[in-house]
Amino acid sequence: MESSLSDRLAGLLGGSVVLPVGEIEIDEITPQAVVRPVDRLQISELLLWASSEHMSVLPRGGGTRSGLGNVPRTADVVLDLGAFNQLVDYQPADMTATVEAGMTIATLQERLAPGGEFVPIESALHGRSTVGGVLAVGAGGPLSYAYGLPREWLIGMSVLGTNGVSTKSGGKVVKNVTGYDLNKLYAGSLGTLGVIVEATFKLLPIDPQNGMLLASFPTLSDSLAAGRKLIHSSASPMGCHSVTSGVSRRLQDSTQAASQDLGLGDEDTALLFAFFSGRSQATRRRLEEAAAILLAEGADAVQRIEGPAAKGLLRWITDAPPLLSDDSALVMKVSVQSKSSAKTSAECSDIVLFGEKPQQMADPGFGTIRLFWPKYGDIQSTHSMEPQPIMDTIQQVRQVVARYEGSAVVEQCPITTKTQIEVWGDYPDSLAIMQSIKNRFDPNGILNPGRFLGGI
Amino acid sequence: MDFSQFLKGLQGIVGEQNVVYHADDLLVFEYDGSVDRRLPDAVVFPGNTREVSQVISLAYETGVPVVGRGTGTGLSGGAISPPGGIQVAFTRMNKILEVDTENRMALVEPGVINLHLDTRVRKDSLRYAPDPSSQKACSLGGNIAENSGGPHCLAYGTTTNHVLGMEVVLEDGSIVNLGSLARETIGYDLRGVFTGSEGTFGIATKIAVRLLPVPEAVRTFLGIFPDVETACTAVSAVIEHGIVPAALEMIDALTIQAVQNVSDAGYPDDAGAVLLIELEGLSDEVCEIGREVEAALWDTGATLVRTAEAAEERQQLWVGRNGALGALGSIAPNYFLVDGVVPRTQLARVLGRVADISREYDIPIANVFHAGDGNLHPCLLFDERKEGTLQRVMEAGTAVLQVCVDAGGTLTGEHGVGLEKKEQMPLVFSDDDMAAMISVRDSFAPDNTLNPGKIFPDGVKQAAHGQRTFPGMPV
Repeated sequence: MESSLSDRLAGLLGGSVVLPVGEIEIDEITPQAVVRPVDRLQISELLLWASSEHMSVLPRGGGTRSGLGNVPRTADVVLDLGAFNQLVDYQPADMTATVEAGMTIATLQERLAPGGEFVPIESALHGRSTVGGVLAVGAGGPLSYAYGLPREWLIGMSVLGTNGVSTKSGGKVVKNVTGYDLNKLYAGSLGTLGVIVEATFKLLPIDPQNGMLLASFPTLSDSLAAGRKLIHSSASPMGCHSVTSGVSRRLQDSTQAASQDLGLGDEDTALLFAFFSGRSQATRRRLEEAAAILLAEGADAVQRIEGPAAKGLLRWITDAPPLLSDDSALVMKVSVQSKSSAKTSAECSDIVLFGEKPQQMADPGFGTIRLFWPKYGDIQSTHSMEPQPIMDTIQQVRQVVARYEGSAVVEQCPITTKTQIEVWGDYPDSLAIMQSIKNRFDPNGILNPGRFLGGI
Repeated sequence: MDFSQFLKGLQGIVGEQNVVYHADDLLVFEYDGSVDRRLPDAVVFPGNTREVSQVISLAYETGVPVVGRGTGTGLSGGAISPPGGIQVAFTRMNKILEVDTENRMALVEPGVINLHLDTRVRKDSLRYAPDPSSQKACSLGGNIAENSGGPHCLAYGTTTNHVLGMEVVLEDGSIVNLGSLARETIGYDLRGVFTGSEGTFGIATKIAVRLLPVPEAVRTFLGIFPDVETACTAVSAVIEHGIVPAALEMIDALTIQAVQNVSDAGYPDDAGAVLLIELEGLSDEVCEIGREVEAALWDTGATLVRTAEAAEERQQLWVGRNGALGALGSIAPNYFLVDGVVPRTQLARVLGRVADISREYDIPIANVFHAGDGNLHPCLLFDERKEGTLQRVMEAGTAVLQVCVDAGGTLTGEHGVGLEKKEQMPLVFSDDDMAAMISVRDSFAPDNTLNPGKIFPDGVKQAAHGQRTFPGMPV
C-alpha cells in the first residue's frame, strides 16, 4: 500500500510538523493531512512540493471562517499557521506593528494596548481568528463605517508564493507608493494567491472614552432610517447597526448581555446600536446629540451605555454573525451603497425560506446587510433540506441586490445547496483579469482551489 | 501603418483639432514636474470613454506605446512619454459627473482638478480629503495613477483609501469596471492594486471617490523652534499624547530663509524650524486636544506658538508652508525633490544624515516635509546650467534614499517611482518582489504598452514569477 500523505509530509517536513487530521473538515471534506510548520522554510518546501505534485494546500488560521467560499475542488493538505504567532516589531512612537500571520487578533490587541494603541481591524471570535485569516477574508465589522476594511490599515506584507519564494510588498512606513500596492491584492484574496506569513499595520491611539446608544424602534426600516440620520449628523458615530427582533432576543438571552435591560417591545421591535468614542467631553456631547436625534426619529426608548458594558455590547455585535449562523439554514451578506441599505433591507425582509422571513443585521453607514434564515422546524441536520427552495431564496436576494448594483455572498448554506451554486454571486466584468492574476501566481492551482469566484 | 496614417486615424477618432503633433506644440508635453524629458510623437485629447478606447485600441494595433497625462504636475516622470509614444491628455474630460450627498460619493472624469472637486463638494458640507500640495493644478486621474498623498493624509489616508471604483480602458482598448459604489466588492481588490500603478495597468476614464463631511472645527498651530531636531521631539511628544492630527508639517531653516526672501510669512529671523499642526473634529475635541498640543510645543522648546481657528487666519499660518517650494527659486533655479519616507522615530537622525550629504556633495538641501507620517521632502537646490551639477545632484539624491532605506524606510511616499527612481527599486525590493509585481501588470497589460519603461529598473527579470522553478530557498 502506498504511504499516506501524512507519512510523505512527515518525510518531507519532519514528523513533528504533521498533526492528526482530527475533526478538521472543509465543507464536509476531510483533508488528507494537516501540517503545522514552525519555520518559513518548511512552508516553502511544502508549497514547492505541492506545486510539483499538484496537491492542494488550504492555509488555515483559527478556522473561524473556513466555511467561506465555494466547496474546494480538493482538500489535500491543511496548512495550519498557528506556530507563526510572534509580534515581530512594535514601536509605539511609530504607530506601526509587524506581526506574524498566526497571531490571534485578541493577542495582537493585548500586546499593543500597553503602548496605548490598537489596530483598527475588527473580527468575530477574535480569540481564535488570526491576523492572516482576517486579512485573507478582508472583511470589516460593526465599526467599518469609521475604520473601513482591513485593507486600509495594512501597510506591508511577507507572502510565500507557490514557487516557494518569499516576496514582500509595501514596507513599515505609513505612506508608501514604492512599487505596486500588492497589499491590496492579497487582502481579501481568500488565500488563493500566496501564503501570508507576516503583516505590518498602521495603528491608532486608543480613545480615552467610549460609549454607545441602544435604541428600540417599531420596525427595522425605522431603525435604519434613524441610523442614516445619525450617520449624517455631527454626532458622528463610529458605526451603527440595526438588528431585527430575533437578533435582539438572541442578545437578550446571551450571558454577556444578561445585565442589560434592552427594553424589547413586541415581535417587530428592532434595535439600533450606535457606537461612539473620542475624548471624554466630546464623546458625551455626541451621545447626547445622538440620543436626541434618535428620539426625534421615533425611537420608543434610548439607552445610554458606557464603559465596559458598552465594550461588551460591541463585542457581542461583532461576534453575532457566527453565533446567529449556528441556528441558520442560510446566511447571506449583502453589500450595497449605504444610501440603499434601508430599501435593500426592506425588500429582502419579505423573502421567505421554509415560511420564515430572515433575521437581519444591517449597517446603514457602510451598506452591509447580513440576512439569516433559520433552520426549518425541528430539522437539525441541514442535509435533509431540499436545495431548491434555498437556491430560489438566494436568487430572489440577488435580484433585489442587482437593482441596487450591490453584491450578495452566500456565507453559509447546506452543502447540498453549496455544491450547486456560486457563493460569490454574479461575476464582475474584470473576472478575466482576476483569473489571469491567479494563473500567474498559482499556475498549478494548488492554493484553496475553486473556493474563490469563477473557479479561482 | 506609417505615422501619417496613424495620425489620420487619431484625428478621425477625436477630430483634427484634438490631435497635436507639430514639434512646437509638443514642447509643453515634453516634461512633468520632475527632471526627465522626452517629446511625445503626438498628444491626443479625447472627449469621452469611447474615444479613449478607440485611441488606445488604434495605438495598440499600430504598436505605439501610450501614456496618460493629467496636468503634468507629477514629480517622478510618470507622464513622460515613452520612446515613440503618444500621450492621451485628459484636458477635455474634466467634468464632475455626479455628487451624491446621500452616499457621500462623487463620480468624476479623470481630468477634473483635485481642488475643483473639493471646492464643489464643500457647497454640500463635504470634502475630498487627499490634498496633494499641487491640488490647485493636479488632476484626479493623475492622483489615481500615483496614489497621491498630501498634508492631510496623516489622518485620512492617501488616494487609495478614498477611491471606490473606476472605469478603466486597458491596453487593447477594452473597457472594464473595477471596484464598485458599494464599499465591499467581490473578488480581488483590483481597484486597490490599480491605484498607484502609475499608468501601467490601464487608463481610468471615470472615477468614483468617497467624500467626507467637513469637520465642525479646525484649529491650526504654528510652532517656531530653534532647529529641526527640537521640532522633531515636539512631533514625538504630540504622537505620544495619543493625538493623530489632521496634518503635521515641518519646514527647516533654509526653507524658512527662502520663504522670507519672497514674502514675509511672519517667521522670526532666528527661526530654525517651523512646525504646523492642524486639528479637526468637534469643537470640544479640538479645544481639549489643542490645549495638549500647545503645551507639548512649549514643553519641547518652542520659542513661539501661534494658533488660529478662523479660515483666513489659518490660511495665514499655512502661507509659508504652501509657498515653500516656489520660494526655493529665490535660492537656486532648480530643485530636485526626494520623496523618501522613514519611520517617524527616525526623522531627526535621518535629517542629520541628510545634512551630512548636503555637505559631502556641496549641494544645499532644504527640507519641507510631512513630519507626521515620516515623509521627507529634501529639496536638493542647484543650477542645471552648471556643467556636471545634475549628475552630482542625482548621486546625492540616491545617497539620501539609501539613508532612508537603511533607517527602515522606502523610496517614495507619494510621488511615485516613475522614471526617476526606477533604478533605485532594488534598494527596497528583490527581483522576486518585482517579479510578483510585474506578473500583476502582465495580467492587466500583457503586452506592456501602457507607460512602458517606468517603475522597474531596466533589465529586471520580466518572467512571470509563478512559472519559474526556483531551486534555492528563500528568506
